[in-house]
Formats: sequence, structure tokens, C-alpha cells
Amino acid sequence: MAVPLSQMYTVSKYVLTQKLKGVKRYPLVLMLEPLFRCNLACAGCGKIQYPDHVLDKRLTPEQCWAAAEECGAPIVSIPGGEPLIHPEIARIVQGLVDQKRYVYLCTNAILLERKLDEYQPSKFLTFSVHMDGLKNEHDLAVCRDGVYDVAVKAIKAALKRGHRVTTNTTMFDDANPERIRKFFDEMMALGVEGMMISPGYSYQKAPDQQHFLKRERTRELFSKILGSPKRGWQFNQSPLFLEFLMGHREYQCTPWGNPTYNVFGWQKPCYLLQEGYTKTFRELMELTAWDNYGTGRNEKCADCMVHCGYEASAVEDTFGTVSGFARTAKLTLLPTSR
Amino acid sequence: MTDTKNHTAGAAGSLEGRVFRPASAAEAAEAVELAFDYRGDVTLSLASGELIVGYLYNRLVADRDSYIEIFPSDHPAPRRIPYDAIASIAFTGEDTANGKSWEIWVSKKESERQAEAERVEADARTRGHL
Repeated sequence: MAVPLSQMYTVSKYVLTQKLKGVKRYPLVLMLEPLFRCNLACAGCGKIQYPDHVLDKRLTPEQCWAAAEECGAPIVSIPGGEPLIHPEIARIVQGLVDQKRYVYLCTNAILLERKLDEYQPSKFLTFSVHMDGLKNEHDLAVCRDGVYDVAVKAIKAALKRGHRVTTNTTMFDDANPERIRKFFDEMMALGVEGMMISPGYSYQKAPDQQHFLKRERTRELFSKILGSPKRGWQFNQSPLFLEFLMGHREYQCTPWGNPTYNVFGWQKPCYLLQEGYTKTFRELMELTAWDNYGTGRNEKCADCMVHCGYEASAVEDTFGTVSGFARTAKLTLLPTSR
Repeated sequence: MTDTKNHTAGAAGSLEGRVFRPASAAEAAEAVELAFDYRGDVTLSLASGELIVGYLYNRLVADRDSYIEIFPSDHPAPRRIPYDAIASIAFTGEDTANGKSWEIWVSKKESERQAEAERVEADARTRGHL
């Protein structure tokens, strides 16, 4: 089982509590971007193209902790930029762990092995290592030779110290299903807890507007990759989201499920689109015209199937319908039954 | 909207180097939207004569009192400027997103890719990020 029972219990309890309270829109994962600066310059990334004085801005630990409290989501994902560049990231993470939130610290792992001493293994902390494929594909995707090998070494070191480690993979339209399946085998052989996958999407400010997946191509690709899953593969995400990627389920986007906070404030409406910012989480929830977003509602969202919009939809399906719950239970206990 | 035209041409498809002098509220709103989408610094010339160079990261459009928010390049705190205080917007900073596509990366000669990768790596090393 990829996700520990304690985490499943926490998320389940949180979602059911929101439902009992009658809360229509609630956050599931806070996307906390403490900085935009990175030590890579991946061609597909639209998060790091800013003037230097913006790249040099950092959220303080206090801002990060306050954002998590204000939002209330049980899970905090920390992407960037490269979070390990932030001089106070270990303190930020510890503060979030002290709040008993499940933290996914996303990293390209270039600095990970060197910084491992700063982190205590905890069920609340997972290093989510960016891996876009086998060595050739990954090094090409991150525009630097040798990064794959560095990341693999860091993963092994983190696992040896007892840390939870997952991988996160963005797939582009040139992904080769057989190579991806081989990549899954290699990652699981390393001993990671699970893998997270998502299609790339040509969000508004990403420089790479031609290389991202369209919806039909997404379904075709993920069907080939996940159609006959191997017994050893574990995915650290909702099994219904994987079914959605394969075209087996239809969802509408849940943009408020993964609210984003960064040096500009709370980002409207989601992690990918930048339509403006609010000062508070409450303003984000109350002032965003949520019905204007999602497939069929907004041309910018037309082909998006990305986890930050649809994983929360899958979780909502799990807890909102009997069929969704039954299917989730079956796929969790028997992942090869897909 | 008046584009002064007397700009140095930026890379194809980029607004880099252009200057907009809105003549109406609608033109001001249009210029602000372009600046909001721009991944580089702009220079705001205010009606007061003040010049502000920085990254325009937010705007609020309202029936009255529309404003932009900008991180000045020389000051850590953001500033809020009403639309009607803006005389011109010049796209003076480098468009950091331009020319960074996957296709351009792949189409480069191996030697060019290597040189670019080494430049990015050296920059990260200089900053102590490697």
C-alpha cells in the first residue's frame, strides 16, 4: 500500500468532516511555493521565468506556517522553484510537521543528500523527487546531464535514513509507454514508497506551449502505461485519478482542491493558471469565480487533466459516491484489477 | 492604445522593448493585462512624473478604483498604483520566458545545448545553489 494508513485515516476524517459540516468547497492539498528560484532550468517549466529580484524573494517560515493554518488542508506540497535552495526550508518543514500536516517536499534532489542531516524521518514528511523518466529522458527533460544519477543516489541515501520517498513525474507528448513502464520498475526497485504521475499541461505562462499533452492523447498514453499494471507498482495518489487519466472516469476540475500560495499571495484560480492574487485564503475562496474554470468552461482549461485540478475531484468521488468508494477500495486492495 | 513604435524590437512574439501610452481607461486596462502576463520588468511612468521599475504581478479591475500591484526592482515591499495614475507602461526588462520552449531547446545544436546547460549550471553554482 503506497500511502500509510495513518495518512489515509487523516485525509478520510478531514474529508468526511467537511462533508458533515456541509462545506461545499474545501482544500485538500496546499501547494506552498516558498520561492521560484531553481538550480535547474527545465524547458517545460513555467515556474521560474521571472526577473532576478523576484527569483530572490522568499516566503518566511512564519508566512508558510500561517498559510497552512489559514488554509487548513491536511496535506502540504512544497514545490517551487527548488525548495532546498531556501535557507530556512528545514525549519519551514519542521513547523508544518509540528502542525501534524503531511508534507511532500518536492525536489530535483541535486542538494538532497547534502541536506539530509537537517531533516528527521517522520511519517509526516515525504521527499517527493522529480524524475521525468529513465536517465536519458530525465537528463534531457531537466536540460542537464548527470542529474538522474545524482537523484538516484540521493533517493537511496534518504531511504537508508528511514525517510519516506516518492517520485513525481510529468509526462509530455513524446513519452514512450514502454520506457515509462521500465522507469516505474526502476523506481520501485530503488525502494520508493510510491510514484506520482501527471500529464504536462500548457498552462498560460509556461514557455513550452507546443509540447504538452492534449486530452485524447493523454488518455491513450496513460491507458498504454497503466492498462496492465505490474504487481509491484505503487502510486502515491488516488486510484480513481489514475482511472480518470486512462479515460475510465469523467471528472470536472476542482481548482480549489489544491490552492497555491507563493510570494505574490494566494493564486487565482489554481496552481497552473495565474489570473491574479488575493491577500487571504478566505478572499481566494470567496472572490474567485470558480464556475468559470474547468473543461468546457474556459478555453485555458480545455485539455487539462493535471493532478492539481483532478486529484481532488477523484477524492471527492471516493467519499461522495458509493461506487467511487467501492472502486477505490477495490483498486487500493487489488491494484492489478484495473 | 498608442504603441510608440520607437522601440528596439524584442524577440519575435515578445513585447520586450515596447511602450504603451493609454489614452483611455479601456486602453489602460488593456496595457495592464499585457504587463500582467509579461515575464519581465516593466517601467511605469506615473502622471506625477515618478518612474517605477518592477514586476507587475497583480491587478484588480473594479468599476472604480482599479489598481495594479508591483514589486519594485529596488525595494522589497510591493506598491499599489491606481490605473488612472499610470501615464505609460514600457516593457523594459528582459522577457524571461521568451525563447525557452522545448522545441527550441531540442532544435539547438548539441554544442549550443551544452553551452547553455553549462551557463545555467555556472550561474547556480555562483549563487551557491549547487
